[in-house]
Amino acid sequence: MVNVDSLLPLSAFGVYCHAVFISITLGFPPAIMALLFKYMKTKDEEYFRTAKTMTWVLSLNFALGAITGTLVEFGLVQAWPGTIIAIASFAFVPLALELLAFANEIAFLVLFIVTLGKIRTSRSIAILAVYWIFAVLSGVLITAVNSWLVAPWGTGEVPSALYPFMPDFGENSVDVQKLVAIKIIALASGLPLQAIIQNPEVAEKVGVILEDPYVALYNPYAAASAFHNISAAVLVGLSIALLAFSVGWQKKKEERFLKAVRVVSPLVLVVFLIQPTVFGHLMGESVVGYNPTKFAMMEGAHQTLYSPLLSFVAYGDPNRPIPGFDELKKRCEEHGGKRLDDLALSVGLDRDAIIGIAGSLGVNLDRSRTEEVLDTKLRDLCLSDLSRAEEKTEILHYAYYTKIFFGILGFLSAIALFAALRTVPVLSKVVKGILGERAVFLLSVGIMLGSTVPSALGWYVREVGRKPWTVYGLLYPDELVSVFEPARSGGFALFMALVIASVVFSGLLAMYIVATRGRKSEELSGGDEND
Amino acid sequence: MTELPFIILGFAVLLHVVFVSITIGTGWISAYSRLMAYLKKDSELERVSRSAFRILVVFELFSGVWGTIITVVLAGFFPTLIALATNVLFAPLLIALISIMIRIPSIAAFWYTWGRIDPRVHSAIGLLMAISGFLIPFGFRTLFSEINSPTALGQFLSSGLADPFAAYLSGLFWVLYLHSIFASLSVGGFVVAYLMAEEGHEKGVRIGYRYGLGFLLLQIPVGAVHWILLGSRSQYIFEAITYGSFMPVLVLKVLAVLTLLSLGLKGYLEGKSVFAKYSAFLSLLAVFLGELMNDGSRYPFMVVITEGGIPISSFANFYIEIPMAAVYVILGFLLLSILVFLSALFYALFRRFLSEPI
Repeated sequence: MVNVDSLLPLSAFGVYCHAVFISITLGFPPAIMALLFKYMKTKDEEYFRTAKTMTWVLSLNFALGAITGTLVEFGLVQAWPGTIIAIASFAFVPLALELLAFANEIAFLVLFIVTLGKIRTSRSIAILAVYWIFAVLSGVLITAVNSWLVAPWGTGEVPSALYPFMPDFGENSVDVQKLVAIKIIALASGLPLQAIIQNPEVAEKVGVILEDPYVALYNPYAAASAFHNISAAVLVGLSIALLAFSVGWQKKKEERFLKAVRVVSPLVLVVFLIQPTVFGHLMGESVVGYNPTKFAMMEGAHQTLYSPLLSFVAYGDPNRPIPGFDELKKRCEEHGGKRLDDLALSVGLDRDAIIGIAGSLGVNLDRSRTEEVLDTKLRDLCLSDLSRAEEKTEILHYAYYTKIFFGILGFLSAIALFAALRTVPVLSKVVKGILGERAVFLLSVGIMLGSTVPSALGWYVREVGRKPWTVYGLLYPDELVSVFEPARSGGFALFMALVIASVVFSGLLAMYIVATRGRKSEELSGGDEND
Repeated sequence: MTELPFIILGFAVLLHVVFVSITIGTGWISAYSRLMAYLKKDSELERVSRSAFRILVVFELFSGVWGTIITVVLAGFFPTLIALATNVLFAPLLIALISIMIRIPSIAAFWYTWGRIDPRVHSAIGLLMAISGFLIPFGFRTLFSEINSPTALGQFLSSGLADPFAAYLSGLFWVLYLHSIFASLSVGGFVVAYLMAEEGHEKGVRIGYRYGLGFLLLQIPVGAVHWILLGSRSQYIFEAITYGSFMPVLVLKVLAVLTLLSLGLKGYLEGKSVFAKYSAFLSLLAVFLGELMNDGSRYPFMVVITEGGIPISSFANFYIEIPMAAVYVILGFLLLSILVFLSALFYALFRRFLSEPI
């Protein structure tokens, strides 16, 4: 088996770095629009200046988001080229549509930056709104691609044929025979998929593997993920802005900071009221429905659980048990003595056919190894993969409940901040009485922690929760990794991690400088540098 | 059905190459002028540096977007090619990727530290920005040279293995790379000359012309060597552009270069700023035509091997029936993005919105 131990953390690191910038990309525009709207209504220049500073941070952030996005995208095709077959099939439509979102996103952002203050404020707000819509669309489409990895919609009963505890992933849109053949060839060759799909003419020989190229867009898991993830990113972006203003207010006691806090905090409250409750519940229902191993891991369910509250939240039925790994393992026993060979035969592939197909695709299979793979008992495969998932139960369980704890902290902080800034009977007095003058700052810290920690841990749960597979129930990471051996070395991962860390650190530092010394971004005038 | 994907890929590559020829060229001009401004205590050079940088800033992100579009188009429409390239050209593509990661933050750092840090350090950041710009095509141009005349790809196709740096053993790569860099510097010069002419900055116009003409004069012999090399290494392309369907493009390109040379010389020697506009346009036209020849003349092959090659269809996506409705919608919106960007460009450069104090 190919070792992917160093590449997986590197990819995760790259994605997390990208997520920092994505959050600002999605969260800052609503705050800027709100500030501009306030400026339009009050004519108070301080709102405009704050919006302007945020715009410069946003522009720099966009550049860094684009770099880290390129890194993630390139990382995907360069480090995990096996995913190219998914990009060319299931992910084709969402990724292609994402192009139009991305191109328009940058075009409208540039237009907004160069025209801000030169045209009517209402028009600037409209331009920024269009930019934000494209940014959200981009996020929705990328989330759809990721969601397909977590719940491979359109593969119907294929995953449950291997793992009986798996649900059906929609109506079958795939050519099962071809998918099974490719999977078995990859297993029997011991090589990643890239070794097959890089050979000229392979795509033509394999032919259509997916009947409905739009299938990733119909994925119910994608819909829940889009609401949940995008709103979480918006929340993180807004929380960063809120904390920045609160720190300014705490340190300098300048009224402009408090004004900005007053504008941003209602937005934070609104998103906090919906995100973890409505969207979080939708997401949870999707996990329950489509990721049985992840659900068991999240609940620490080595054994089947009986928890009326949890069951009511998950199923709306307090009497229904939460299936643990013991139950999932029982389902593996349903395979009886069936082997991979039987599965292949059920879709019309005998041993000679598989070796013949492999040869036509430019892959020479060793007959004895192929037979060894085909003799694999499906029950053993199922149990072995369940054990690999179960190994991560503890860490995932604690990550999930830590996320919940911080989410509650953020939720309460958002309500308390609202009360601290406005007059809410009883609550305002209580908050001010307990936290005093530092209420704005402390509650902003609470909001920041309550948005970023759950986001980071939520993503961890999402991604680690689908292990040992990269495409849930279908493909492992070592089947998708690069055939280029040095790319899988620890040295390469360390080198790339250092490059990424340097770039991200420099970027964050630059954003801090822009945010705290706003006028330094205005030096392309050709005038006095010290203006 | 491989024609439309090939055209879409070509469109994205052409747009990207035209934009990046501006950004790479202006990046160097800005960085070098900044350094010279400090060394010579010359405020006019500083102004040239700022103007060149303003052009770079406006174009950089949008040109980068088209780079991303190329990646997605390749992975979506030509999955086999990208699967092969990420193996055989892993090292060159990594060089390009790391360079991108250095390039954009260094642009931001150059911008935001202007006048706030030691000028020597600021100039060093500028040079880092400029050099990282040169290193991006140092990685990506291997893909272009490999599909014109395989070296690493040849090793792989014959033995199943390729040296990670084999693409750099190709003479064609080095000539193509030098040609691209000289073209970028020449375009950067003419574009700077144009902007400086609009701003009535005579010295800036002359500096821009000097870059434009100097690198055009270097580019011409390198272009000729490239053409000759194609004659021995990539006969199919050579024949297509010399006697075949792309001959008119070659003729147009030569005409564009000669006109550019004479206009540029006249503008420079006679100090006529009015020619700067036409020079900038012609320099971009020359880049467009050159890239069109380089990429389009391979049709119907994706990888040209001497007089034949591997057809585009061998690398195309047959895993799905390409949903044409989605493709047309995407093309429509991409065109919208170009229009919006051009509007922003107009405001930023010609209405000087970006240049005024905020």
